[in-house]
Amino acid sequence: MSFVCLKHVSVEFPIYQGSSRSLKKVLLAHSSRGNLARDARDRINVRALNDVSFDLHSGDRFALVGPNGAGKTTLLKVLAGVFEPTRGQILSSGRVTSLLDTGVGLNPDATGHENIILRGMYMGIHPRQMATHAPAIAEFTELNDYLDMPVRTYSAGMMIRLAFAISTYIPPDILIMDEWLTAGDARFLAKAQQRIEEFVRHSSILVLASHSMQLVEEWCSHGLLLDHGRALAIGPIGEVLAAYRDLIAGESEQELAPSMAAV
Amino acid sequence: MTSLETVSKLGATSIVDFPEPPTRVASAANDIIEGWRQNWLWVRLAHQDMRLRYRGSLLGPFWQTITTVVLILSMGFIYAKLFHVQLYDYLPLLSIGLVMWGFVAGLITEGCGTFDAVRGIIQQVKLPLSLHSYRLVYRNFLILAHSIVIVPIVLLLFPHRVEWLGLLGVVPVLLLVAINGVAISLLLGMVCARFRDVPPVVGSIVQVVFFVTPIVWPPSALGSNRWWAVLNPLYTPIDLIRSPLLGMPESPHSWSILVLVTLFNCAVSFMFFSRFRARVAFWV
Repeated sequence: MSFVCLKHVSVEFPIYQGSSRSLKKVLLAHSSRGNLARDARDRINVRALNDVSFDLHSGDRFALVGPNGAGKTTLLKVLAGVFEPTRGQILSSGRVTSLLDTGVGLNPDATGHENIILRGMYMGIHPRQMATHAPAIAEFTELNDYLDMPVRTYSAGMMIRLAFAISTYIPPDILIMDEWLTAGDARFLAKAQQRIEEFVRHSSILVLASHSMQLVEEWCSHGLLLDHGRALAIGPIGEVLAAYRDLIAGESEQELAPSMAAV
Repeated sequence: MTSLETVSKLGATSIVDFPEPPTRVASAANDIIEGWRQNWLWVRLAHQDMRLRYRGSLLGPFWQTITTVVLILSMGFIYAKLFHVQLYDYLPLLSIGLVMWGFVAGLITEGCGTFDAVRGIIQQVKLPLSLHSYRLVYRNFLILAHSIVIVPIVLLLFPHRVEWLGLLGVVPVLLLVAINGVAISLLLGMVCARFRDVPPVVGSIVQVVFFVTPIVWPPSALGSNRWWAVLNPLYTPIDLIRSPLLGMPESPHSWSILVLVTLFNCAVSFMFFSRFRARVAFWV
């Protein structure tokens, strides 16, 4: 029985840019006043998640929707354990597998076959065990001879196939996916969906972030609408998507209003 | 935005009781222990690093060894003349010095990239951060294992009376260097992930330290001023390994300095690690 519980999770982080990345400038700024001090404060605090709480249980297929910069990826990283909440707590039980980026733990200079073993190791699977699964994984990717070539020669779609095939071969208890997966071709998507449905039926949890309402509606049962790091709506996918459509409509009205007035 | 109502607040009826969150110090200690437990992983990753780094080159990691040999030969003849010492005594001193220095300097300079070099992994996979340090230190031991072959060859060509008793110290010295390596790479890894101008500074400092440390010159060359070279913490592992091999007495302070510096490095590194461990994922 796997679960994920978030309680009042907030994530805030400073974005360092320009001179705040420089130790020299920061030290100088502390010892002198004036222009330099302003330089060192080239720091913007981003509150990427703001007081988000929810529970997920075995068999849940959960979508994260929201406009760009809503905090979807940050939330996925919190769920994956990559980011620790700066406030609030997360508790989960079960093996978490995250597919956040196509390059996830793939070494571009190693071949496809080598990366199967390598990515497995990062997932905590011993190479000996992974070797027994490797042929089946290779088959699922349908990459055939390409698997003997370094991964840096792969197209984005091929990378996705490889990453997905490796990560999902051993059914995860909790699978966390970012929307890049939808960049795969239609046939592969159908195949991926079939596999995911299979292990969600075996009481795994799926968390998927996506812009594609159609995909989300098809794959998920529940959802969360995020905007500016806040949870605006949470519940059955239909209601969440309705709220999302309202949000988009509301924003475009606001955008239109001043231009209309100008006319 | 009032039209958007929260459909249900599942968080309010949580099915689990949240335990007290662990303290920063506990999390940091746990990270270091958990990273060590996953030694099967970092050992393999380090071996793979070596394989990939030297893929397609005939000699593989022995390139590094050959570079060191060329350096030893070219420096050996010139500096032996400069310092007015016998080649017979100077070449072994230089060889062991350069091999050990390559190891120590490698740990420090690569330590700057402990986290930055694996930022893709840190951003995607939840792993103990200390694991990256263990991997780095172990990889540098693998490199040392290749360059160390120079030492027995030189000692066979230019035999010296070996202090076998002192040589027993090699294992604890390497162990202490390894512990220092983990501490330094965690600390430098964090600082360099946060401040991008630190790695070149560290590189310059290492360069300077190379010249002021008795690596290519014997500490005795300083005469009555030898104490300040001998107190240099980076000299201690070189002294403790080189002196017994050349039948020379070790500096009486080398052991105590090495142990004290190790304790100091561990303490400072752990303090920083406790404070900033959770920030690293945001910095890289």
